Formats: sequence, C-alpha cells, structure tokens
Amino acid sequence: MTAPTESAIDIWDDDILVDPYPAYAALREQAGVVHLPKNDLYVVTRYDIIRDVLGDPSTFSSTTLGFNPMVNEALQGTSLASDPPVHTQLRATLSENLTPRALRGLKVTIDEKADKLVAELVASGSFEAIDSLARAFPLEIVAELIGFSGHVKDNMLRWGQAAMQVIGPLNQRTQESFPIAGELYGWCSSVTGDDLTPGSIGRGIFDAESRGDIPEGSAGHIIHQYLGAGVDTTIASIGNIVALFGRHPEQLQLVRENPELVPAAFAEVLRYWTPLHIWGRTATRDVEIDGVTVPAGAQLGVLLGAGNRDARHYENPDVFDVTRNPVDHLSFGYGPHGCAGQGLAKLEGHAIVGALARQVQSITITDEARVASNMTRSIDKLHVAKVVAA
Amino acid sequence: MRIELDRPRCEGHGLCEEAAPTLMHLDDDGELLIDVPEVDGADLDAAKAAVRVCPVAALRLEAA
Repeated sequence: MTAPTESAIDIWDDDILVDPYPAYAALREQAGVVHLPKNDLYVVTRYDIIRDVLGDPSTFSSTTLGFNPMVNEALQGTSLASDPPVHTQLRATLSENLTPRALRGLKVTIDEKADKLVAELVASGSFEAIDSLARAFPLEIVAELIGFSGHVKDNMLRWGQAAMQVIGPLNQRTQESFPIAGELYGWCSSVTGDDLTPGSIGRGIFDAESRGDIPEGSAGHIIHQYLGAGVDTTIASIGNIVALFGRHPEQLQLVRENPELVPAAFAEVLRYWTPLHIWGRTATRDVEIDGVTVPAGAQLGVLLGAGNRDARHYENPDVFDVTRNPVDHLSFGYGPHGCAGQGLAKLEGHAIVGALARQVQSITITDEARVASNMTRSIDKLHVAKVVAA
Repeated sequence: MRIELDRPRCEGHGLCEEAAPTLMHLDDDGELLIDVPEVDGADLDAAKAAVRVCPVAALRLEAA
C-alpha cells in the first residue's frame, strides 16, 4: 500500500478561498489525491478521479458531506447526507418539484423577470451588480417559488450564506455562522403550509405531506434544503456572469451575435469559476485511487473547481470560452447526489445571460471584491461603472 | 451494446437527448424514452456521449 503524498496547503486559508486556482493547479499536478495534514483531509483534484468518486456512493459515502461533526449530525436524515438505498427515496421527494419537467412552466416568468430587472439596471447607466442583480434575482425567484415574504425574505441572504458556511471546518467563520444557520433551521421547523402563498411549490410540499405522499415532518426539511442550497450558489454564479462578461467583452459579443450560445455560456461560467469550492465524502474501505491507498474512514474533500480546470479533460482550461459548451462540468457535482436544483439554476442563469446579451452592448466593471468563505466562492461587491445599452 | 436506464434515478434533465437525439428523447411528460436500445458503430459513440453527460448517472451501457 502506497500512501498519498502530502501538501502543507491549508485549503481553508483566506487567500486560497479568495483565489484557489494556484493552489488547485499545484495540488492537481502533485497527484489525483493529496493528503492535507493541516486539514486532516484527502483532497481529490483531477477531473476523471472526481467523477469516479462522485459516481461510486458505496465506496465514497456522503455521511460526512460536511467538514465538522456538528453539521454532519444536523444533516443526518437528509438526502444530502444519505447513501443509497435510503437516499433514493429522499432524493425523489426532494427533486420532485425541481426536475426540468416540473419547472417547465416557470421559464417564461423567470425570463420576463430577468429582462425587466436587467432593463432597469441598463437604464440606470451604472450599478452595483451583486446586491442589485446577483442577489436580488435569485432571492425573488426562490421567495416566489417557496411562497414566503416579509421577514423571511429579508433574512434569506444571511440565512443562505450561513447554511453554506457551517458545512466548513470548525473555524471562526463556521462558529459565527451556526447561530444564523440555526435561525433558518428554526423557521423551517415551525413553518406550516398556511404560512406559504397558495399555489406556490412550498405550499404544494406541505399539501403532499398532509396527503401522506411524503413522510410526516419532511416538508420542513425539504424547504430547508431548497433554501440552504439554492441561494448562495446561484448568487455566486450570477455575479460571475457579470464579472466575466465585463472582463471578456469579446465573449459577450459572441453570445450577442449567436443567441444559441446562451446555455453554453452559462455552462462555461460555471466551469471557469466554480461556485462550490469543496464537498465531502468518507472512504468506506481502504481504497486505491490513482495508484495510492486512502485508508478506510478517511475524510475526502472533492475540489470541484480543480477538476473543472484539469487540462487532462479540457483543452486550454484556464481560458474563458463561451463556445466550449462544457456540458460535463463538475459544478453541479455528478451522480446520485448531483445538484437536485440544477434545472432551476439553469433557468435562472440562462435568463440572466440571455437578458444581458439582448440588452447590453458592453459593461465596464471596477472594484471586484471577494470575501473568504468556507464553501461558496462568490463576488461580494462588483461595481459596473458604465453600461452601454444594445 | 445495450443502453440501460435507471428509471427512478432519471430526472429528465435532457442532456442525453441533446447528445444522442436519434437514440432517445423526452416525451411530452418529460419521461425519457430509449428509442434505440441496441447500439453499435456510430450509434455507439452517440450512446457513450449520452451516458457521459447524464448529470445523475442514470444511463449506462452494457454488453447486449
């Protein structure tokens, strides 16, 4: 048995979280799996190996999806932290309202909302893109979908950020976020169908629980997962759309000239700047990965963004190219735990890319600021100094 | 080779249909139908592409 090589990198170091790509490249070139003693973690770095790990839930269990015992305890009984066969039923209940067929009717509404919001911002001449677009848009979509308003909507950004943050190791960010994540959990535990707008998907989930179609008590858990997973990640990807079009005006021009590139452009945004930094698994047995042995019980960290820039899989991986169409990117994960909300995420992302391509000739961005975050890599402030209408 | 669908796992994302439109399609209810289950030659390449892009690993190829 050959042990994996080690690296002194701390994968949750502030500088690495803000710009992980140099560390990803170093780890990926070192090996497909690298032991990080500082994090008590084995990181998986190459595209093919990441796919193999995510596609083999019996060897790589999701029971330690998170990187601290408290969050893993809290996630017990959710589809996120379960393995087949228990996972299969939980997943079906979770994804029933999120499959592309269930969401088909929403496309027109979501496209209209994106067009209207982008039109207002273009008319203003300059704007701050994160609060006014990247956050405003998914928060409105998710609030309408679940059917809440008022104080819940006001809290959703900090609740959604905290729900992601606490999946990290027990560092200061995680400890500060636990009480806030607890507020979200508390609301989801106490909310009833009557609190949610009639006709909303959230209301429908409670109706399904009353009918006995889903187990008693599961409706609140499902809403919790929608909100925990669907806010911070989508915000990151929409902010990234604006920043990447600002940095690469010729790529925006390509989508303007070829509107059929909208889905490919969004897939490339997701590949190029991966919203989720890392995701956990446990080795259920001694397992050979890329010629070395990872011991049973080891905590793995799957570096989705490292795999998305692997030259073994993508040609010129460090180039942002909207014609690439990387439909097999890793940003939604892969396999039985692949992102349950990817249909909705794509509706939102395509709506924003499409609205920008139709309405914007060029944007000039300044002051792109990022804040270190355990799980999600997103832009915190992005000033669009000048927008030229199409 | 034969295209096998793990139906409970399929969520109708439709990437397979884009990769292999002559072999499979989503019906009006969004259910995946395998139109050509037995594949060889050029069809086999398309089938492999469809298996590869399924985001939830619901498709696989098995010896016929």
